[in-house]
Amino acid sequence: MFAKLKKKIAEETAVAQRPGGSTRIPRSVSKESVASMGADSGDDFASDGSSSREDLSSQLLRRNEQIRKLEARLSDYAEQVRNLQKIKEKLEIALEKHQDSSMRKFQEQNETFQAHRAKMAEELALALARKDQEWSEKMDQLEKDKRFLTTQLQEMKKQSLSLFQKRDEIDELEGFQQQEISKVKHMLLKKEECLGKMEQELEARTRELNRTQEELVTSNQMSSDLNQRIEELQRHCSALEEQRNHVTSSKAFSERRIVILEQKEQELQALTQQLSIDLQKVTAETQEKEKIITHLQEKVISLEKTLEQNLSGEDHVQELLKEKTVADQNLEDTRQQLLAARSSHTKAIDLLETQVKDLEQSLQATEEQLSQSRDVVVAQEAQIQKLITENQESSLSQQQVLALEQHCREHTHALEAQIEALEQTRVADQIASEQGMCALLTLQRQLQQENMALKESRNECERALQHHQVELKKLQDEWSQREIVSVAMAQALEEVRKQREELQQQAAQLTTIIEEKNRNLCEKDDVLLHKEQELRQLEKGHDSALLQIHQLQSELEALRSCRAQEAAGHATTGEGPLQLQGQEPLVIAKAMQGSEYEIQAAEGTPNGEVEAMDLEQLQKEKQDLEQQLTEKNKIMKQMQQRMLELKKTLQKELKIRPDSELFEVREKTSPEIPNMAPSVTNNADLTDAREINFEYLKHVVLKFMSCRESEAFHLIKAVSVLLNFSQEEENMLKETLEYKMSWFGSKPAPKGSIRPSISNPRIPWS
Amino acid sequence: MGGFFSSIFSSLFGTREMRILILGLDGAGKTTILYRLQVGEVVTTIPTIGFNVETVTYKNLKFQVWDLGGQTSIRPYWRCYYSNTDAVIYVVDSCDRDRIGISKSELVAMLEEEELRKAILVVFANKQDMEQAMTPSEMANALGLPALKDRKWQIFKTSATKGTGLDEAMEWLVETLKSRQ
Repeated sequence: MFAKLKKKIAEETAVAQRPGGSTRIPRSVSKESVASMGADSGDDFASDGSSSREDLSSQLLRRNEQIRKLEARLSDYAEQVRNLQKIKEKLEIALEKHQDSSMRKFQEQNETFQAHRAKMAEELALALARKDQEWSEKMDQLEKDKRFLTTQLQEMKKQSLSLFQKRDEIDELEGFQQQEISKVKHMLLKKEECLGKMEQELEARTRELNRTQEELVTSNQMSSDLNQRIEELQRHCSALEEQRNHVTSSKAFSERRIVILEQKEQELQALTQQLSIDLQKVTAETQEKEKIITHLQEKVISLEKTLEQNLSGEDHVQELLKEKTVADQNLEDTRQQLLAARSSHTKAIDLLETQVKDLEQSLQATEEQLSQSRDVVVAQEAQIQKLITENQESSLSQQQVLALEQHCREHTHALEAQIEALEQTRVADQIASEQGMCALLTLQRQLQQENMALKESRNECERALQHHQVELKKLQDEWSQREIVSVAMAQALEEVRKQREELQQQAAQLTTIIEEKNRNLCEKDDVLLHKEQELRQLEKGHDSALLQIHQLQSELEALRSCRAQEAAGHATTGEGPLQLQGQEPLVIAKAMQGSEYEIQAAEGTPNGEVEAMDLEQLQKEKQDLEQQLTEKNKIMKQMQQRMLELKKTLQKELKIRPDSELFEVREKTSPEIPNMAPSVTNNADLTDAREINFEYLKHVVLKFMSCRESEAFHLIKAVSVLLNFSQEEENMLKETLEYKMSWFGSKPAPKGSIRPSISNPRIPWS
Repeated sequence: MGGFFSSIFSSLFGTREMRILILGLDGAGKTTILYRLQVGEVVTTIPTIGFNVETVTYKNLKFQVWDLGGQTSIRPYWRCYYSNTDAVIYVVDSCDRDRIGISKSELVAMLEEEELRKAILVVFANKQDMEQAMTPSEMANALGLPALKDRKWQIFKTSATKGTGLDEAMEWLVETLKSRQ
């Protein structure tokens, strides 16, 4: 800045020195500029002036005024310009002086500088020459180095090229190797897969074998069972065959018997036929004999007729008679013979018939037996056939079992053969893979060197992986720990829940207890209310007694006045009784109606007697009234004493309460308030205490509202004591605070009984 | 319920707040002691009508210290704060020989309370920096401390304004509370 300024100043001075008095050019320029401004404005005006002449005149006037103003301004400006010119001249003078001094200094400095510069130039030239020599030497060295380096560079390039080639080769080799490795791996994987499949198949086969073996064992068991059954059945069969033989023998025996019986029957039939033939013969004989008898009898009859006809021939008759008797005897003999033959025939026939019947019965029985035995035989034959079929079946099953066994054996053989084949194949595979591996190993050995780098990187990766795994393990450990912690937390929570449940149960129990206590309190309240009512009644009685006393006193006064009037009347006129009559009923209207009547009754009697009578009566009444009054007074005094005693006891209790019974339930104190209130207000010293108490209450409530919940919990008691909260209200406050403090739980429902009961009077500050 | 949980958590983390009451007649220096314990500075106090409650941490033990106003008219309300109290710091003005009797009667009445049966008693014979101050033994006798039975108590001569004796007293209180647990 200052350099620039100096330059400017120098130029100006240079200019000022050349033309001499040309310093006033700026002033003239300024004047011209001012004039030109005015001219310009005039030109503007002239351009506008072509509109109209009237306007032009007015505008001209205005312009003239403006011109005048401008001229005045111009004069002001001229003055200002002059002033500025004076200042400028002064400044220029000062500047010139300054420039002179500065120029001198400048010239001096320039000289010194040039001298220094020359010295420096010489020194620098010397130094440069030295440096040049040094640099040339260095350059030579550097060029040598450069040549060497270029040669090296070329070598390096060659090397790098070879390296690149090698690298390419290596890459190619790696590619090949990787391909081969992948192929080998692929083959290996395939082989492994095949192996796995083979093994699976082997396992399947072995399973099948096991199954078949199990089946075999089961079938063997079945076959043995069947064999046992067959043996049993054979035994059964043999037994049945024995039975059958027995039955067949019995059958043959019975058949023989039947044959015998049939023969016997035939014999019997032949016998019966013979007998019937005999019978027919006998009947024919008997018929012949009867015919002979009838013939003989006819002969007899004819002989007798002849006899009768031939009486003479007695001998002959006798002989004839003799003959006749002989004939009769013969006849009777034949008859007897006939009868005997008949009876013997009949007996024989009966015998034969019975025999036939017996035989028939026996035949029938045998036939029945035969049929039964036939049935038995048939059943046994069926059984035998069944057994035979069963036997055949069992033999079939045995054959099946045998076939199965063979099949299984064949199967196992086949499986074993397969296994062997598989093993062989596996071995072959292994051998093949080993061979492949050998081939590969040769390759690998070649490639191992290149592989090393890869392995290293892989190792690094593996290390990173291991590191990650370690981290993972750590994280897992942490996780497990956290899980354990969470489990512990869950357990703790469960425990907490249990405890909570227990507490809830306890709370329920406590609430029941509280309810009982509340009931007791209510009962006590009732009792207290009764007592209060009694007290009020007593007060009322006291008041009424006081009223009665007042009435009596007023009555007494009235009576006294009456007495005075009576005395006056007694002294002066007979108008007294009339006045009495007029006044007395008014005064003693309620209390002494009886006496009024007496007075009214005594109207007719003479004055003197009446007065005396009245006086006496009045005196008596007065005495009575006075007695009543004294009695009432006594009662009043007693009542007042009782009142005083009650007040004292109340005050005592109230005095004790602030110290010892501060936390008593308010129900006990509330009924005593009407008596207590005046005694407190009368005490002038307590006003101070009340103020302090109020301040205390204010402070406590403020703190209660502002402080932490844990602190507020401790303040509940103080607040409830200060504000005379009931137990329920205090509990409600506690519950709400607990609800606020706790994380769980529900908001305690405000109970209906807890309302700010303004109607219920409270103890003032004590 | 909340109390239950807070107790569980306090038992879990072992940082149950000890509840301490500072009691004594008016003008004994209770509020000064409270703030000397809490911030370690002497504060200008006015007569406490009400109470001050502050949390004081001493040797990793948290104390909820309640300084209750000691004026005659509000002394009856002390008993509202007695429940769950671990220790009572009873502050006595060592120069106030006239009211030592009242102090004693208040102390006796306080110690008879069932709620304070297990509370530890620490008596601060305060204002020991003043001349004519009573010695601790003199004060213990005047307060009838030797006659106390079934009560852990200790008397310390303190000066709240100078800050002397408070550390020893708190040390003893912490040790006693720790040993009692």
